[in-house]
Amino acid sequence: MANFLGIVLRSLEYGSIYALAALSVILVFRTSYTTNFAQGMLGMFSTFFVATLISKQGLPLGVALALGLIFALLIGFLVDVTVIRRAAKLSPVGKQIVTLGVMSIVLGLTPNIFGVYDLNMPKFIPQGNVHIAGAQLSYNALLNIVFGLVVMGILFYVLQKTKAGLAVRTTAENPTVARLMGVSTKKVTMLAWGIAGALSLLAGVMAAPFSAVSTTFMNDIQITAFLACLLGGFMTFYGAVAGAYIIAIASNLLQVYLPGGTVWGKPILYMLIIAFLFFKPYGLFGKKVVKKV
Amino acid sequence: MKEQKNLLKNPYFQFIFLGLVLLLLPTMAQAGLIKAGTVTVVGTTLIYTIAALGLNILLGYSGLISLGTAAFMGLAAYCSAYFTEKLEWPFLLSVLVSLLIPTALGTIVGLLSLRFEGIYLGIATLAVGEIFLEIFRQLDGFTNGTSGAKAKYPVIFGVEFDRIMMYYLIVGVTIVVFILAYQLLKGRLGRAFNAMRGSEPAALAMGISVYRYRLIAFATATFLASLAGILYVHYIRISYPTTWGLSLSLDFLAMIVIGGLRSIPGTLIGSFVIFGMSELVLKQIPFLENYSLVIKGVLIIVFLLYYPHGLVHIWTDIKNFFHKRQAKAASKPVKEDSHE
Repeated sequence: MANFLGIVLRSLEYGSIYALAALSVILVFRTSYTTNFAQGMLGMFSTFFVATLISKQGLPLGVALALGLIFALLIGFLVDVTVIRRAAKLSPVGKQIVTLGVMSIVLGLTPNIFGVYDLNMPKFIPQGNVHIAGAQLSYNALLNIVFGLVVMGILFYVLQKTKAGLAVRTTAENPTVARLMGVSTKKVTMLAWGIAGALSLLAGVMAAPFSAVSTTFMNDIQITAFLACLLGGFMTFYGAVAGAYIIAIASNLLQVYLPGGTVWGKPILYMLIIAFLFFKPYGLFGKKVVKKV
Repeated sequence: MKEQKNLLKNPYFQFIFLGLVLLLLPTMAQAGLIKAGTVTVVGTTLIYTIAALGLNILLGYSGLISLGTAAFMGLAAYCSAYFTEKLEWPFLLSVLVSLLIPTALGTIVGLLSLRFEGIYLGIATLAVGEIFLEIFRQLDGFTNGTSGAKAKYPVIFGVEFDRIMMYYLIVGVTIVVFILAYQLLKGRLGRAFNAMRGSEPAALAMGISVYRYRLIAFATATFLASLAGILYVHYIRISYPTTWGLSLSLDFLAMIVIGGLRSIPGTLIGSFVIFGMSELVLKQIPFLENYSLVIKGVLIIVFLLYYPHGLVHIWTDIKNFFHKRQAKAASKPVKEDSHE
């Protein structure tokens, strides 16, 4: 039982990472009406920036992360203003292809700017474990879990209770009416891209100590975030978060309890999710949008 | 004279003419006019064109995006390598089964498209691609893992193929695929596709089973990807898992966007821009080679935003541009714009 609890607790850490990444996808989806395939790559790019500041300039993690957040915000703004804003008239699938183009550019730029070698990312708390009901959890994992929840809490508070959040929600609901009501949808979209970039950076910085900062280290997170959005339904912010935690826990349980799970756990989980979506195509919390001629 | 002009404008003649020109390349290489490596590049480019054509039909007509094209191509390549090498099946039987398995699986994935919006399908196919890649990497007995599955030049009816004959086969298959695709898209299937493209609810109301045609588009796309995969593995003679990742699927998308949606010659042009460019031009210039991904990304975005019809329309556009200028010059004294 303690083992089981330990697995679930450790899954929560990954859940936080996936949830942040999934929220960044949803933020962009709700304001730009497309799934951003470049999101993970943008997070990877900013994480490289942070890792470079740490390893080449010798900055402490906290300072580098703060600078990185500003950097990620600006990159998000830049992508929106230079590319996405101009693509507003394309079909959703057309916009998807545009984000794939952005992904290709970011992926191509990274080794040219930050070098071809993988970088290391330190943990916030290098060592130490905490015992919860017989299960072990590192302090850093606990920090990541709490930190993820706090960031999400702030985000939901801003979305639900503040004027800026209201602007985002109205834009998400109906951009034309939002414009008529005096919401500057352009600013909202730009802000959403910036914040999404910052969220992906946080996911990247939290995930990087598990492996290394490479051009591919965010791929898995990006795909999981997408699947979390599909599982929870693209229509709500909380659905994506729920989807992220469900996937994280299910993935870890499969890897531990399934024979050969370390290799086949993830592919099997992907298959299960896709099969689930066949029966509930709009996800756990989604609803069908009625099309008219 | 007029008949000759008509013949030149006949698409079937154009396809066959293109094939004949392509068939000349190995002879030209032997005569020293072009490098021998160029023939291989052209051969590979044609293979990729076949796969991209499938995606073009899927994306262009049904508006569905698939990021798993490369994975299906890879699956067919591994199947054919496994059947001919490990099981020692005759080539044609192996081709048949290697076409059938991925196409069947692709159609099952296509069933998802009946339930999803187009944009969710991109994500689902991305995940399917990841599953396949994991299988390619891990299922050693079938794919030989990261060391790559080997295959040989085929033997058909007792004739042993070599590199140049394989090239001829690729050209032949490409031209046949072009002609068949043209024929199909001109007929009932093409009309149904076009109605779907206009408005799916409207097409439904007209009695076109949108779901059936979506499945047909999906099956066609995976079938052509499988065909390309089989040709690839028997031409390059090795298949690594890393070949079949997202970046190759992205290349297919880039080819279509740059060349022209719903256009057979456009797919070919796009293919030569993406693969020909990086193989023949960019690799010569080290600085540009480092930036090939950036260039591809920029091309995708610029074409989608500013030239969505693709390069295939460039000739018409240039002609129109000069016609308009001539018309403008001729109609200068008259104020009204009667030409429009």
